[in-house]
Amino acid sequence: MAKRRSHRRDTLPAIDRRQFLSSTGVAVGGLLAATSGVGAGGRAPLAAGAAFQGEPVAGGTMIWAQELDPVSLDPHKTSNFSTVQGIEHTYQSLTMYDEELNVVPCLAESWESPDDTTYIMHLRPGVLWHDGTELTANDVKYSLERLLNPETAAPYASWFNAIESVEVIDPLTVQLNLSAPYGPLLANFAAMRGSSIIQNGADAAMNLQLQAVGTGPYRMVDYVPESHFTLARNESYWEEGLPYVDEVTFKILVDEDARVAALRSDQIQYAYLTVEGAERLAGEAAVSVLRSPKAWLVAHFMNTFREPFTDVRVRQAISLAVNRQEVIDKAVGGAGVLSGPMPTGHGDWFIPVENLPYAQDLDGARALLAEAGFPDGFATTITCSPQYPEFVASSVVMQEQLAQIGIEAEVVQMEWGQFVSDTSRQNGWNYDIKVTAFTFYPDPDGYLYTPWQTDSTSNYTYSNPEFDAIVAEARSTLDVAKRHELYDQAQQMLLDESPAIFWYVGENIEALPANVQGYTQSYTGRRIFLKKTWMEQS
Amino acid sequence: MVSYILKRMVLAVPVLLGISVIVFLLVRLIPGDVIDLMLGTEGSLRPEVREQLRQTLGLDQPLYVQYVTWLGDIVRGDLGRSLRTGQPIVENLAGKLPITLELAFLSVVMSLVVAIPLGIVSALRRNSVIDFVVRVLGTIGLSLPNFWLATMLILVASLLFRWGPALIYVSPLDNLGENLKQMFLPSLALALGLMAVVMRMTRSSMLEVLSQDYIRTARAKGLRERLVIYRHALRNALMPVLTVVGIQTGHLLGGAVIVEQIYGLPGLGWFLLNGIYQRDYPVVQAGVLIIAGIFVVTNLVVDLLYAVIDPRIQYV
Repeated sequence: MAKRRSHRRDTLPAIDRRQFLSSTGVAVGGLLAATSGVGAGGRAPLAAGAAFQGEPVAGGTMIWAQELDPVSLDPHKTSNFSTVQGIEHTYQSLTMYDEELNVVPCLAESWESPDDTTYIMHLRPGVLWHDGTELTANDVKYSLERLLNPETAAPYASWFNAIESVEVIDPLTVQLNLSAPYGPLLANFAAMRGSSIIQNGADAAMNLQLQAVGTGPYRMVDYVPESHFTLARNESYWEEGLPYVDEVTFKILVDEDARVAALRSDQIQYAYLTVEGAERLAGEAAVSVLRSPKAWLVAHFMNTFREPFTDVRVRQAISLAVNRQEVIDKAVGGAGVLSGPMPTGHGDWFIPVENLPYAQDLDGARALLAEAGFPDGFATTITCSPQYPEFVASSVVMQEQLAQIGIEAEVVQMEWGQFVSDTSRQNGWNYDIKVTAFTFYPDPDGYLYTPWQTDSTSNYTYSNPEFDAIVAEARSTLDVAKRHELYDQAQQMLLDESPAIFWYVGENIEALPANVQGYTQSYTGRRIFLKKTWMEQS
Repeated sequence: MVSYILKRMVLAVPVLLGISVIVFLLVRLIPGDVIDLMLGTEGSLRPEVREQLRQTLGLDQPLYVQYVTWLGDIVRGDLGRSLRTGQPIVENLAGKLPITLELAFLSVVMSLVVAIPLGIVSALRRNSVIDFVVRVLGTIGLSLPNFWLATMLILVASLLFRWGPALIYVSPLDNLGENLKQMFLPSLALALGLMAVVMRMTRSSMLEVLSQDYIRTARAKGLRERLVIYRHALRNALMPVLTVVGIQTGHLLGGAVIVEQIYGLPGLGWFLLNGIYQRDYPVVQAGVLIIAGIFVVTNLVVDLLYAVIDPRIQYV
């Protein structure tokens, strides 16, 4: 098989993004309206908000607000999303994402698989590190071996554990030998969770927590923890003409009001916002607010290893009793789209919203509860952390909804660190119902195998041998159509068995001044397309 | 004087030692450890890798061993390394402490400069309109939390003036003017509370002193009112004010945590807060110890100032 890419291009008619946006009535320029491509066209490609107008101009400097400190720039050792945000413009991997979430070649120009467990990656010739030396296969080997070395204790090493060995064939060819066929591999590279390629020997040569020498569109000039990091244009970047802006400083502004204020006073050229923040900016003609669904799937998980949730009828009753749209309206002010076990908008893997079995049926719910031996309901707890206000808000709405069928749920709030430790597998899954969210996983495997397979280290209290077999087969299948079939089956099973109440995917809300052009939102929630962003020169 | 200072320094040792024990234990009482938080809810580590990480970080040692090791390092001037980043904490603090100290210093100066004259006027014109206005303002100042003030100041500035303090910290050594412009709003947010306290204290203390016999005597011997106020009344009235300022440094440093975060100032407060969120034990321990140290030193200075203001007080 030749180049194996995300299949979506093959299964869907190509839609020109500008046409698509204009057909959905998006104002271009000035205040950009919300775009939500999901719902209307079923499995429509993701419609990300984008600002574009005229021909790009190079030059200028910008300050972008970064909402959390990256903590460390070490691309292999950390699990924080903010670390990814810190390094994603500096480091790159073998593959990357385009605007429509297709996995496209990056440092690997092409690849081939002589058999199911071998990938031969042909590196892009002439790619220069920010220090001027050339990228070679040794760098790839070094990076992957550092990632997989148990001493590195890389939190995302499990995404690459299938790689048994890395062989350098020649300076621009590297061969990955897998222990078993592993479908998610190419997408996992694109996600930048531990997949960054660093220079051969970088760990010994520099302090990777504070320094980064990569191949990306921007060079890391300096990182001042808890203050800012500064990026400068990589003059010898391999994507023709990119990037446009000379210098970008990411200023860490944790407080949303501070970000809103800085946007108003024209001090920053980008900010990530919540719905409340976006409302505060309404009427600011000089600021464009982009909105689109993103990979942030909020769900309440029931502990199926604990009474009474061991009984599937109890879980189904709860699923019938809740009103999911009400949760969206009340917990996040309507800024969300209904979702099943795969987040709505993720490629074409998710169950279209109109096919989700989400009609509320209180009588049916009461009947199921009675059948399970709880005609008068029961008492239980919902554990949540105020670290994310929407988790508490959705818990309270759910509490009210459950009361309708006699279930008395107490909402227990705890600080995030305590929540993480208390409800984890290591500490015996200490909860009845807990709420959290899945962020971006590159492959359905992340949403269907990682949380639900019995032996997975991040299991969310569910075990079903039949289900395990399906996701295991999907993981080791490379045929895309076959994987589709298996993952559809797995999702259906999760909806039937209801180990969790899946609510919605959140919205990615980003604000940029109107003179900043070319930025496209990414379903990943990352700011991948900073590289295509440019400033109108006045 | 010198022996007094030395004595106080020696007395500070058990205080700091006590604090070190308390913070060491308290931070470990919070559920969850740094590895849990490194992994979040999505990352995963095999149990053996996790155990090995605990060993590398020294978290597998018994508590007393961890404590004694840490204390030994402190005595040698080594505050340890952050569990999260592996950076020496001393290096981190070198950049952060001055920012917090400047913020606290500017707030104190700002509140004293405004509050003491207001307090005096208020006391002298007791029950007048001015007194009334100042007292109402004082009550308002006392009741507004500084995190709210900090947010309001920045929002109002952006709405009315399309202006906000510079985002990247400018050191006063590089550009004093820019630095002061940048620090004005955060210092003000922090200063208003203290201002109210100092103003009320000055007022009530002045009222008490003004009713003393020696003031009547001073006036009776024909001293000019100005001299009576400044040389006799104010000097005596300042003692309790000074005490309050000393005690309020604790509040000030606590308030700095929030204000620094809102204004994006990379100071000690924010560093400490992140340390707590991430269960970065050495960072929390070092941060709290430093703040305790500042508190002890400030109050020592206050005690020494008593002697300057009141010649009857002598330290031997």
